[in-house]
Amino acid sequence: MDTRQYIDSGILEAYFLGSLSPEEEALVAANIATHPELAEELHHIENALLQLSSNLAVEPPAGMQDKIWDAIQRSGANTGAETTEPHMAKTIPFQPEYRKPAQWKYAAIWIALIGSAGLNFFLFSQNSRTRANEVAMTAQMDSLNAAKQQFASLISEYQKNKSMMADTGMQTIVMHTMQPGHAMAATLYWSKTHGDAYVSVDGMPQPPKGMQYQLWVIQGGKPVSMGMLPNYMANTPAMQKVAMQITDGQAFAISLEKEGGNPTPTTVYVLGKV
Amino acid sequence: MPPITATYTEEELVLLLQQQSRDAFNYLYKQYAAVLYGTIKNVIHDEHTGQDVLQEVFVKIWNNIAQYNPHKGRIYTWMINIARNAAIDKLRSKGEIMKGKIQTGEDAVNILAGGRKSEQVTDTIGLRKMVDGLRPEYSAIITLAYFKGYTMDEISKELGIPLGTVKTRMRNAIHQLREIFNN
Repeated sequence: MDTRQYIDSGILEAYFLGSLSPEEEALVAANIATHPELAEELHHIENALLQLSSNLAVEPPAGMQDKIWDAIQRSGANTGAETTEPHMAKTIPFQPEYRKPAQWKYAAIWIALIGSAGLNFFLFSQNSRTRANEVAMTAQMDSLNAAKQQFASLISEYQKNKSMMADTGMQTIVMHTMQPGHAMAATLYWSKTHGDAYVSVDGMPQPPKGMQYQLWVIQGGKPVSMGMLPNYMANTPAMQKVAMQITDGQAFAISLEKEGGNPTPTTVYVLGKV
Repeated sequence: MPPITATYTEEELVLLLQQQSRDAFNYLYKQYAAVLYGTIKNVIHDEHTGQDVLQEVFVKIWNNIAQYNPHKGRIYTWMINIARNAAIDKLRSKGEIMKGKIQTGEDAVNILAGGRKSEQVTDTIGLRKMVDGLRPEYSAIITLAYFKGYTMDEISKELGIPLGTVKTRMRNAIHQLREIFNN
């Protein structure tokens, strides 16, 4: 800051005379606090005006001294405050008591700032907490929904199973492991008359990455692909209707193949004769 | 009770006042009554009202001395401000300030030149008499700002000069005061 220019602008005089707006006054007070040469200049301004006041001194009439002392005695500390406060409170824009109002305003500004910051922090943390709660609730809802869907699909699986069981023409073909040492099993329900087949790979492990189970039907000694089984079915009671209509077959098998399948089975995992 | 003849420093004066003794009051009165009364009289010209305000001011100083903070300014300035504020307050509460206000810059010049309302004339002439050589426009601005408690805006409207001019004129006025007092 160019303090010379600042001083020359006359703002310190206006400040001392209390002729500035509260905002300007706070700014000037801040500048004075940080620039000693401004404080020094203000001191000279104060001296000039104090000297002016001294020059304007008028001797009060005789008898005033005792009269005022009596008034002071009557006022007491408390009543005195009462009679004088209204005037103090009403004090007009004119506040040449330059540091006092500025300090007071600073305090007020700081209190307001701190209060605002505190409130902001409070609201912010409340908001964050609300948001965290919301996220937690959403997550909980999601997991509840997922669980609900799981149950719904489970129930529909059981219903399918049940209706299949009720079908008197439905044959159950249990496919047993072809890999010694690995207990595996799969079930195929086949209604020869309708040509419908349902498969479950409850007793089979999740295929390795990039691999898939392929369902085969052995017709005339030759494996015919019935399609690929989705990996999610493995190790769950999920049952899937086979898209292909099957009216003939001597055995069913499931092999492990590369994703998408092969024209002929590579490694047969389970096999079940009709 | 022996008369007090010593002159105290501002710090000593504050300590003395805090004792709330008659001696302290006598000293305070002897040292400052005339200055405070002069300050009041610059705002209020009615003798009786002026004396009432002077009494109020002393009571106020006496009862509020504990609130005076030496770090926030000189006690002299503090007391003069109490006097000035009390006087302006009294004047405004009586609605007299409006009567005293000058309407245009031209009017102000007329009054400075010695016409119109006696109250205004006393001010500026008084000030100019006391402060020999102070330019009339400076005398006007100091009177309005220092003794009448006008804000810059009010002064600007009052004298019909731009706000920026008010500020520089304030600066120049006090600068001239300083030069006069230093000589």
